Amino acid sequence: MNNLVMPVGEEGKAKALSGFLARLLELGVVDSMVLPVMTVPGIMTYLMARDPELIREKAEPFAAVMPVNAGSPVARTVSKKPRGRIGALLKPCEVRALVELVKLKQASPDNLLIIGIDCTGTVDRNEYKKAYPDTSHLDLREACKVCLNPSPPDTAFPGINIGHIGLDDEDALLVSLSTGLDPGVAAVVEELGFESDGSLADRRRSAIAALREERDCAHREFFLNSRAEQNGGGIESIARLLAACTGCRNCRVACPVCYCRECIFDGDVFDYETRQLLRRADRKGGIKIPGDTLLYHLTRMNHMSLSCVACGMCQDACPENINLFSLFARVADRTQSLLEYVPGRSQEDALPFTTFREDELEPR
Amino acid sequence: MGIGGGTGMESSVGFEPKIVAFLCNWCTYTGADLAGVSRIQYPSNVRPIRVMCSGSVDPMYILKALLDGADGVLIGGCHGGDCHYVNGNYKARRRIAVLREVLDELGIGSERVWFRFISASEGALFADTVKEMVDSLKSLGPNPTKAMWIT
Repeated sequence: MNNLVMPVGEEGKAKALSGFLARLLELGVVDSMVLPVMTVPGIMTYLMARDPELIREKAEPFAAVMPVNAGSPVARTVSKKPRGRIGALLKPCEVRALVELVKLKQASPDNLLIIGIDCTGTVDRNEYKKAYPDTSHLDLREACKVCLNPSPPDTAFPGINIGHIGLDDEDALLVSLSTGLDPGVAAVVEELGFESDGSLADRRRSAIAALREERDCAHREFFLNSRAEQNGGGIESIARLLAACTGCRNCRVACPVCYCRECIFDGDVFDYETRQLLRRADRKGGIKIPGDTLLYHLTRMNHMSLSCVACGMCQDACPENINLFSLFARVADRTQSLLEYVPGRSQEDALPFTTFREDELEPR
Repeated sequence: MGIGGGTGMESSVGFEPKIVAFLCNWCTYTGADLAGVSRIQYPSNVRPIRVMCSGSVDPMYILKALLDGADGVLIGGCHGGDCHYVNGNYKARRRIAVLREVLDELGIGSERVWFRFISASEGALFADTVKEMVDSLKSLGPNPTKAMWIT
């Protein structure tokens, strides 16, 4: 790990970082750079830039809003006949989602240069749009309030991390080059003339630890509240919480780690014949249509909860404002601790469903 | 009446649980067959579905059975080291362990899902497992999803 200090001039941190990203593109380190930009005032999107000037003009690397978890669209840029190298500036939960997709063989890591950036939280995108440009007073999204990973994982990819937590008073950003980084890339970055400095890295590390500690309490409280809100056990209580589901599947689309190319719920299994529906309706007195919504959520939890990076995009996507995040985060926390898996931490940790130990999980 | 519609016909008096059983072709299904040809008596509450490997049973199918009103789901796989496909049974064990966590965290409870390793030569074990499961499900009572239509 090589920690460099990027000086920030009068134009501010956003411009300094945009300039750095544009420079990487100009110097041929990457063939294109994916980064958040402002399309129209208040509306953020991601841009896959080929023109460095577009980056200098439009980039908004610090905007506290997240329209999509970019992990999955970035994975898609290198999922089919990958060539060249795509750079991407990603928030910690986006990096972690991307790591999961790489492990699921849906992206080629050799064709990516991931530039992770610290994130202290994002706000609701609709509120952001309304309040823009004065967005500093907005409340963080529920998922961000209890996020324990404000910094990108050091071990996820051989890439670059941009640090700013705890460095608000500094006219500098921390640029960390990870150990396995392509020497060609490292050489180009080192030639930009940033100085090496360990003290900023130490300050950032302790600020992150403090933030995590603060959020750890909120995190535990959030889980307790969510369990209490469910108001007793039984399948009826969970059916009530999900009763408003219209089966739109937006949560599945927004979920960066819901990985199947074709969902089982879109397949023949759920393309019922009338007689099948009638038989079920007969047994139960009637059936909700569109149906299988409870089954859909429970199945999704089984399929993706081990890789859930707790980004909360499912909840943002829900037109019925169902509290999906609390349910999915709770379940993910349980299943991940059962199999001692930390999604997005490293490409080396095998996906739990692809491996096993002979002596585990007994009694069945 | 709440979210359950239902006919109200189900009561725990004379309640006979329905068990959907996903049985591995190479071991438990053959074990069940052995129980039959050996004339071992066991309750007829089980509806076997032959699958090629316990590792091929997606949790979706287990959940679907449970939400459609099955009182229990039994998944039968080979003993450790005996899987015809090398390690499908170990992977099934992980999947089902995860399913149980999901059900428990959401307060649904995982006691209706049983996963057992039963070999082709263990007809008696299959029969005993079904007996044990039927007893356990009888004391649990009917699955509330039988009369629930918002699944």
